[in-house]
Amino acid sequence: MTRINSLCGVALLATVMALTSCSSSGDTSSGAGQPTMGGHLMMARGAEATSLVPSIPQDNASIWIIEEIFDTLTVPSQDGKSVEPSLATKWEQSPDQLSWTFHLRDDAKFHNGVPVTSADVKFSIEQNQKDEAPFSFIDEVITGMDTPDVHTIVFHTKAPWAPFPAVMGLFANSVVPANYGGLGPDAFAEHPIGSGPFKFDSWNKGSSLTIVKNDGYWKKDTPRLDSVEFTVVPDGNTRSTRLASGQVQINEYPANSSVSSLEKQPNVTVNSFDSSLVEYLTMNTQRKPLDDVNVRKAISQAIDKQAILKAVLYGHGQLAGSFLDPTSWAHDSSIQGATYDIDAAKKSLAQSSVPKGFSTTINVTAGDQNAASEAQLVQSDLAKIGINVQIGILDPAAILAAKLQGNFDMTFAHYTTDIIDPDENVRFAATDSGGTFANFSRFTSPELDQLATTASSTSDQGARKKIYDQIQQIVADNVPFIPLFYVPGIYSYSKNVGGFHPGATGNYFLENVWLAK
Amino acid sequence: MPRWLIHRLLLAVPVIWGVVTISFFLMHFAHGDPARIALGDKASDASVAALRHQWGLDASLASQYWSYLGQLFHGNLGTSFYYHSTIVSLMAERLPVTLALMVLSAIFAVSASIPLASRSATQPNGLVAQAVRLFNAVIQGAPTFLVGSLLILFLGVRIAIFPAGGYPNGFGARTWALILPAVTMALSIVPLLVRGLRAAMIESYSSEYVTFAQSKGLGSGRIRRRYVLRNAGISGVSILGIQAGSLASGALVIEQVFAIPGMGSMLMTGILNRDYALVQACTLVFGLIVVVVYLFTDLVYARLDPRARLS
Repeated sequence: MTRINSLCGVALLATVMALTSCSSSGDTSSGAGQPTMGGHLMMARGAEATSLVPSIPQDNASIWIIEEIFDTLTVPSQDGKSVEPSLATKWEQSPDQLSWTFHLRDDAKFHNGVPVTSADVKFSIEQNQKDEAPFSFIDEVITGMDTPDVHTIVFHTKAPWAPFPAVMGLFANSVVPANYGGLGPDAFAEHPIGSGPFKFDSWNKGSSLTIVKNDGYWKKDTPRLDSVEFTVVPDGNTRSTRLASGQVQINEYPANSSVSSLEKQPNVTVNSFDSSLVEYLTMNTQRKPLDDVNVRKAISQAIDKQAILKAVLYGHGQLAGSFLDPTSWAHDSSIQGATYDIDAAKKSLAQSSVPKGFSTTINVTAGDQNAASEAQLVQSDLAKIGINVQIGILDPAAILAAKLQGNFDMTFAHYTTDIIDPDENVRFAATDSGGTFANFSRFTSPELDQLATTASSTSDQGARKKIYDQIQQIVADNVPFIPLFYVPGIYSYSKNVGGFHPGATGNYFLENVWLAK
Repeated sequence: MPRWLIHRLLLAVPVIWGVVTISFFLMHFAHGDPARIALGDKASDASVAALRHQWGLDASLASQYWSYLGQLFHGNLGTSFYYHSTIVSLMAERLPVTLALMVLSAIFAVSASIPLASRSATQPNGLVAQAVRLFNAVIQGAPTFLVGSLLILFLGVRIAIFPAGGYPNGFGARTWALILPAVTMALSIVPLLVRGLRAAMIESYSSEYVTFAQSKGLGSGRIRRRYVLRNAGISGVSILGIQAGSLASGALVIEQVFAIPGMGSMLMTGILNRDYALVQACTLVFGLIVVVVYLFTDLVYARLDPRARLS
């Protein structure tokens, strides 16, 4: 941006400040009044997208742009509790429960004007079923697809599969034109075509990616914005200053430490949106003495989570109980995390194989300031019950390798859900079938595995909830990992941004956003 | 082509081979699997195995090394795992940015150092000399990311003359956006340049040819420009040449702070994601830049100092 523009930005900022100070305070989520059409929105993010071909990436920076360009058959509701229609208007499970039929809307068109058909859906799902697709595991349940007519697609599943409608809302199952519209995968990656609210416009790798309004979008009166530009600004402080100087309108993930100062700025709104992110401390249950449940219990009782929440997350989060986060309909709020109690922790340790304590290591990711601070606090907490903690620092790639190989004692990590059905996180966090050995803890429970299988094949949500409650109890009793916090998605944005409300799964839903003039 | 130049060029070959080999093995020996990183922790082992095969990572290390060398020999830098595009196309976007940043900061560093050094040399106890000494001590102790953040805060936000990071479109806007990061990088080498130049100038002033020039009655400005600076410039050039390496590594940090999409930020992304081909290509290019700058320094050196002609 040129000097002139920056100065204009300051002038604009002053005007906005003057305007907002006159208006009475209304909806806390925006000072932008009634929805208006038009405008160019700039959003600063820490990371850049890696690929816009739906079946390729697994990073949020890519996922959340893919969701603006492409449609899925279903879409998670904003609160993450239910599945809503999108390209499919309705769906039903067959009487034998071994297939799902989806009926497509007839007014959806790709950005090149070609109508969306069941053949496109079939091709799209086949791309995500390829072995090298990161989310192929989620479509493993599909054994075949039929397309009886252009607006109907039938999925056959290898077992009754209740999570299926949620699976079809996964970004990786986004609908692309069959055969990539004749472009071939490489050319399509350069210029992706979807049927979503925004069309791909341009991508300056390393700096910015622009999407523009799809005038023919099937959802009436959306999108409101003319265009959106995502700029890459790796440094959190620089992102905040760019927002303050009016060069961007939305800052994704301001540093926790900066939130209170951002809140004082007259032209900026700071909002925390519920998200499915759960931060946890995992323990290698196959290493002595962490294989002893009393040791793990003692650790969970000795950690002052409240103090960590205050010191490291500046209070932006909620103490975690169950490993399933509160945005999930299966969340069991009766499960509370261990209360901080040194005496109880000492008692638990006294019943264990190492009553006097032991030495262990917590691995943290190099450069992750939060994890480093958390590790230091845990280190001093555990010292009180005789556990001597060393802090090991590894780079992100090395820490991932160590976790997957079981070559660690304890480490911090977090997970989010990609679909709004509890099935994904139950398998990922609690069973050893999810590819991560129960959050890397290597905890195994045949009973829990059986319950997870029963839950995914049970159609009635009430009945499923009961099974998931049991699963959550088993995890709470065995403490293979300690859920620490439920962490919201924090965004700071200019007061003239309206309708911005990311969903529990992170979707921006930018088609609803407007910029007040 | 003179024989010494051919000799120098030939010497560069083992240097480059060393850079390529060391970066290849360092990356491959580092813990972490690029396929697993690309697919995330939830992906199944079957997915990881399929991608490893697709990327040729299931071959033996020796055969991967040979095929990499063969590929380089044909001028093919490979494909980036992380960016899903050819490295040549990524370089075409990123390299000019970093080169512009390095050249700009070298220009800033030189144009700040010469007046500061000559003032410090002619009046060693003057106000300027004392200020320069203090400045050197402070700036050498301050990490570049701190200096960069402070510059953004004061010149990008408080007085919003420059953009607070980022790399907009258009030649003018881009040049303008590169000024603060270039100043930050320049500041990190100014102390060394000023000290080197100052010492060389003081030495020059005490030499016989300067005394002779003074006794001829030449003006002090003319002596400084024609006799002192010209001789001191030789050491300035060699310091600047050696600093090319530190400018290149400075780009790694500075581009991150200022959100400049250059080679440095790309290398950083590559390292964190174990993007072997990308890291190796970036290291190779940085290595080439340093080799070329050293060669160029030698040429300039020989031009300025007849004693150093290498024929």
